[in-house]
Amino acid sequence: MSSIIRTTNLTKLYGTKAVVDDLNVHVMQGQIYGFLGRNGAGKTTTIRMLLGLIKPTHGEIEIFGESLYTRQKEILRRIGSMVEHSGFYENLTARENLLINAKLMGVHKRNALADALEIVGLQHETSKRVGQYSMGMKQRLGIARAILHHPELLILDEPTNGLDPIGIKEIRKLITSLASERKITVLISSHILSEVEQLADYIGIIHEGKLLEEVSYEELRVRNRNYMEFKVSNDNKAAILLEQQCGIVDYEVHDEGHIRVYSQIGQQGRINQLFVEHGIEVSKITVSEDRLEDYFVKLIGGGTIG
Amino acid sequence: MADLLYTELLKLKRAKMFLVSVIGASAAPIMMFIAYLNMKSKTPDEPISFELSFYNTNLNVLLLLGPLLYGVITAYLYNREYVEDTLKNLLTIPVSRTHLIVSKLILLLGWILVLTLEAWGLTLLFGLLGGFEGLSAAVLVQSLTEYLIGAFLLFLLSTPTMFITFWFKNYVPTIIFTAVITLGSVSVVNSDFKPLYPWAAVHVITINGYLPQYPPVYSYLAIGITSLAGLIATIVYFKKVDIH
Repeated sequence: MSSIIRTTNLTKLYGTKAVVDDLNVHVMQGQIYGFLGRNGAGKTTTIRMLLGLIKPTHGEIEIFGESLYTRQKEILRRIGSMVEHSGFYENLTARENLLINAKLMGVHKRNALADALEIVGLQHETSKRVGQYSMGMKQRLGIARAILHHPELLILDEPTNGLDPIGIKEIRKLITSLASERKITVLISSHILSEVEQLADYIGIIHEGKLLEEVSYEELRVRNRNYMEFKVSNDNKAAILLEQQCGIVDYEVHDEGHIRVYSQIGQQGRINQLFVEHGIEVSKITVSEDRLEDYFVKLIGGGTIG
Repeated sequence: MADLLYTELLKLKRAKMFLVSVIGASAAPIMMFIAYLNMKSKTPDEPISFELSFYNTNLNVLLLLGPLLYGVITAYLYNREYVEDTLKNLLTIPVSRTHLIVSKLILLLGWILVLTLEAWGLTLLFGLLGGFEGLSAAVLVQSLTEYLIGAFLLFLLSTPTMFITFWFKNYVPTIIFTAVITLGSVSVVNSDFKPLYPWAAVHVITINGYLPQYPPVYSYLAIGITSLAGLIATIVYFKKVDIH
């Protein structure tokens, strides 16, 4: 898998405040990379730097293995993007708005506009002026514009912002199908964890301009599994009972008699009874309710993701 | 560049601004005609010439209406990309920032010429309706030439307005700026400094009304330096500025 986006010590200062601080992001080919962070964490500034809209104070950006600063024009032609809310000429129809992009991008394929509109489900709304579009329709049109020229990389900044649940589901489905069917690498930013959770296979967490973690979703899931924790008087004996009587091998023994069980969640009553019957004193049972969201909250030091 | 110009024209489709500007450009000939009708009612025997009618309408366009109207059009062309949040899309297509400025300038020139021809045409029409005297091919050619020269020079002077638009990303400072320019023109129009003030120098050049103490080169330089300074400032600023 080759690297599609790589930033090295990417930094943007406004005055003395670092909005993006020594950021080293790595997006590999074929990934759906979720760029997660609270509002104001530096996601949009980073994305705008990746698209050449904002000049970094220092640091390097490589996209498709080439420096953005020396090959910006060629690189941008291979990218489709949507930054925050999509801006359109509201006096024009959806088709006319796309025509502007098609003309300037040199997209001459006869059905390119119709195809893009059909993919996002706007094929029956082409003669309506964009000013009369709902927010969801505009977001979908923004995606149509981004994929019009068959990009290799799609950069979407908060594409579900302001959408209702049905709209969010539609956009999510669209992005997933684009990534799988067209083999497009996707970088999607969001402040909503559940959004990223359902889309991304790799996650970068940004907070106050710094990249706190860059990890595969699978690894995160493993790290943040639910568990039952028993405080027991004899952890060796408890472990043997778990394996022999319950067939549980997915557990960890922590210090001071804490034993953490990752499978058969909900069976804490039965396990407790088993321990007691074998003379093991159980002084505390905890069932973790930590979800991925709690992990992120801890990671960024309190508060909520949004 | 042809595609860029095509898209700039497309953006004006159904845009109310064009209609508003057409109505705005008709103001000078209409007001002049009303003034002549008023004069005619007071002194019916006094003839009104086409030459004077063309001159007075152009005077109003160059010193009053033009800087204001063309300033608003300039602001509209550039600022709408900020207002409608479309600039980030254009620049990531990618469209060169300099090409974007140039394509809009070409469109602006075309727009100004259309409005100028409209003002000239309406002046002619009202003259015919009012029975003005002295219509000849020479008068028509002379007046049309003066209108077009004036329009082109005012177009050259749109670059400072363009810079103000980019700088503030808002219509209000641009409108204030054009209002100040217009007030400046009105203030100097009867003074000896008229050939040195760029927006008044347009009228001086157009009617060949130079003063002995300031040869034509002064007026050309005043306009040229102002225009170039506005253009360079815009390009340098726009190439450097972050797009938020």
